[in-house]
Amino acid sequence: MKMVSEAQRQHAEAMLEHAMPVIQLVGVSREYASRSGVVRALDDASFTIGAGEWVAITGPSGSGKSTLVNLLGCLDTPTSGKLTIDGEEVHAMSGSELDRFRADKIGFVFQQFHLIPYLSALENVMLAQYFHSMTNADDARRALERVGLGARADHLPSELSGGEQQRVCIARALINDPPILLADEPTGNLDAANQKIVAGILRELHAAGSTIVMVTHDPEMAALAQRKIALSHGKVFCHPVQHVVVKLAQ
Amino acid sequence: MTAASVARRKPMSENPDMGHPSGFSGDKKSNGAVSLPRMLVRSLKFRRARSLSALAALTVSAMVATALLTLYADLDAKLHREFRSFGANVVATASGAVALDEGMLRQVQGVVGADVTVAPIAYAVATTDRGTSVVVAGVDFAAMQKLDSWWKVDAWPAGTNDALLGQRAAGFIANEREVTLSYAGKAVTLHGAGRLSTGGDEDSRIYVPMAAFTAWTGVQPTVLEMQVPGGAERVNAAIAALQRAMPGLHVEPVRALVAGESRIVDRTHSLMYGAMLLIALTVAISVLATLSASVLERRRDFALMKALGASQGQLIGHFLLEALVIAAAGGVLGYVLGSGVAWAIGEWNFGTATLPRVSLLPVVLALNLAIAAAAALFPARVLRGLQPAALLKGE
Ligand SMILES: Nc1ncnc2c1ncn2[C@@H]1O[C@H](COP(=O)(O)OP(=O)(O)OP(=O)(O)O)[C@@H](O)[C@H]1O
Ligand SMILES: [Mg+2]
Repeated sequence: MKMVSEAQRQHAEAMLEHAMPVIQLVGVSREYASRSGVVRALDDASFTIGAGEWVAITGPSGSGKSTLVNLLGCLDTPTSGKLTIDGEEVHAMSGSELDRFRADKIGFVFQQFHLIPYLSALENVMLAQYFHSMTNADDARRALERVGLGARADHLPSELSGGEQQRVCIARALINDPPILLADEPTGNLDAANQKIVAGILRELHAAGSTIVMVTHDPEMAALAQRKIALSHGKVFCHPVQHVVVKLAQ
Repeated sequence: MTAASVARRKPMSENPDMGHPSGFSGDKKSNGAVSLPRMLVRSLKFRRARSLSALAALTVSAMVATALLTLYADLDAKLHREFRSFGANVVATASGAVALDEGMLRQVQGVVGADVTVAPIAYAVATTDRGTSVVVAGVDFAAMQKLDSWWKVDAWPAGTNDALLGQRAAGFIANEREVTLSYAGKAVTLHGAGRLSTGGDEDSRIYVPMAAFTAWTGVQPTVLEMQVPGGAERVNAAIAALQRAMPGLHVEPVRALVAGESRIVDRTHSLMYGAMLLIALTVAISVLATLSASVLERRRDFALMKALGASQGQLIGHFLLEALVIAAAGGVLGYVLGSGVAWAIGEWNFGTATLPRVSLLPVVLALNLAIAAAAALFPARVLRGLQPAALLKGE
């Protein structure tokens, strides 16, 4: 079963690259001007991520992981290169177009959670609906139930544990049904037990079809992903798409 | 089928793509849990100390503006438009050789109308039995009593030889029962029937029946005090008619505020606007400091909203609205307090009731909103330069 011919593997890669790439980078660079000169945080990155893929971005500190995630999340724009997300050329968009695009296409999960402290868990989820289109408490409640927090909907973030807060973040990231889920160190602030819970939720989401791009330092978390994109000094090293190949071969 | 085609998301909600709302109005079907007003209130409550300090500053600005503007408008009206509401509201003085005799009086009454109370007054400076000078006024007590019904008099004189003694004038007299006064070498003895107290010049005068006065001094009335009923228009008409018909008389209205008090108002006029400007500036700076701190504290919240798709305009609008809500609340609160202060100042310093002016409420609100908007302008720039990427990164 594991024996896959080189031709098949290449075919699979080609399929992934050309059929429904939800994210496509062509020569994307991001430079920061600093006092000591220009820092090239991301250097000529070219790769694609297919719809429904779960990708882990790894690399040492300062290698450009967050820079890459911010570009993919349209929180930042490339200095040069072409970035296409869900068929649209992001690098050419104006600020307000990016705001709109972000609301539609990207769900964020942050290492620091970033919940609004004076809104309940439910309201924090609804805030994402609010800036997207319309609020709907029933949908928001269902999203919380999906991450196992149905009973904590009316609690303030300060009344929730770190793991629970991160689950609220995931519910918030999912509520508008975005094609891409971006997570920068989603388990970076969590203990082992909570990391397990969050990993479980991500796995479910992936099984349900979500595209997940996740930055992680943790090899255990990275192992959950189908593919690793390793960064070093702003350079990208893509790993082969073994999982997909195996699936195809079955 | 390719592997990639597995990758279609399961819909989480039935929410179709609604298109981006241009403002905050996108929650029509919501049950209200995340509506703009609710978020505003929560947000203001959450930073209670900051909200309250901004509210206090904006209340002070509105209060000072209300108090000053109310007082000024009120005194201005009393000085230039409102006629005295009690006592004489028109005074005619004989100029030159014109004598205000019986015939003249009838003529005046004919011009102004029968319902106008006309009280002639003659003045002379006499000497009391103690040797002090005192102003003696010859009057028609019946007319006086009608005209100056507000005077505090313990007993109005009834007899032909009865005098009314002003509170202070009574102090210059040894025997109030037998008041002996001399004028130009002629002495007269009157019976002090009652005392008068008004708090004004009247207190140092002695009022004597006109017949007794002219018999004693030979001095004719020089002043006609009139009370014209029926409001400002009628008063102005009476003045005009008198000026036309009797050019020998100098006719003047009596305003609600007298000249001495008017000088205070005029002197404080520019001072008042200066003070208001200074206070507005001080409040603006204080609110600016509060809002700046508030926006800096919340940079991450705003960055998060941006990440959730909020537009620049929405963030700035949200922030501005918070400031304006506080400004409006402070404006209303300050208006109420300021009206109270104006009333108290009017009462204590001018002895006149200064009523709240509803017309000032929009002015004070506008002033407050302008202060808050100006103060929010700088912090709003922080939102314009917001870099969600840097703020949300995690450090
Ligand atoms: N706003 C900025 N201005 C200047 N340099 C920056 C800025 N943001 C990041 N950099 C630089 O770009 C490089 C990549 O930063 P980035 O935050 O992407 O690293 P990272 O891989 O996420 O690191 P970590 O694992 O520590 O989070 C670093 O050298 C960093 O100093
Ligand atoms: Mg990082």
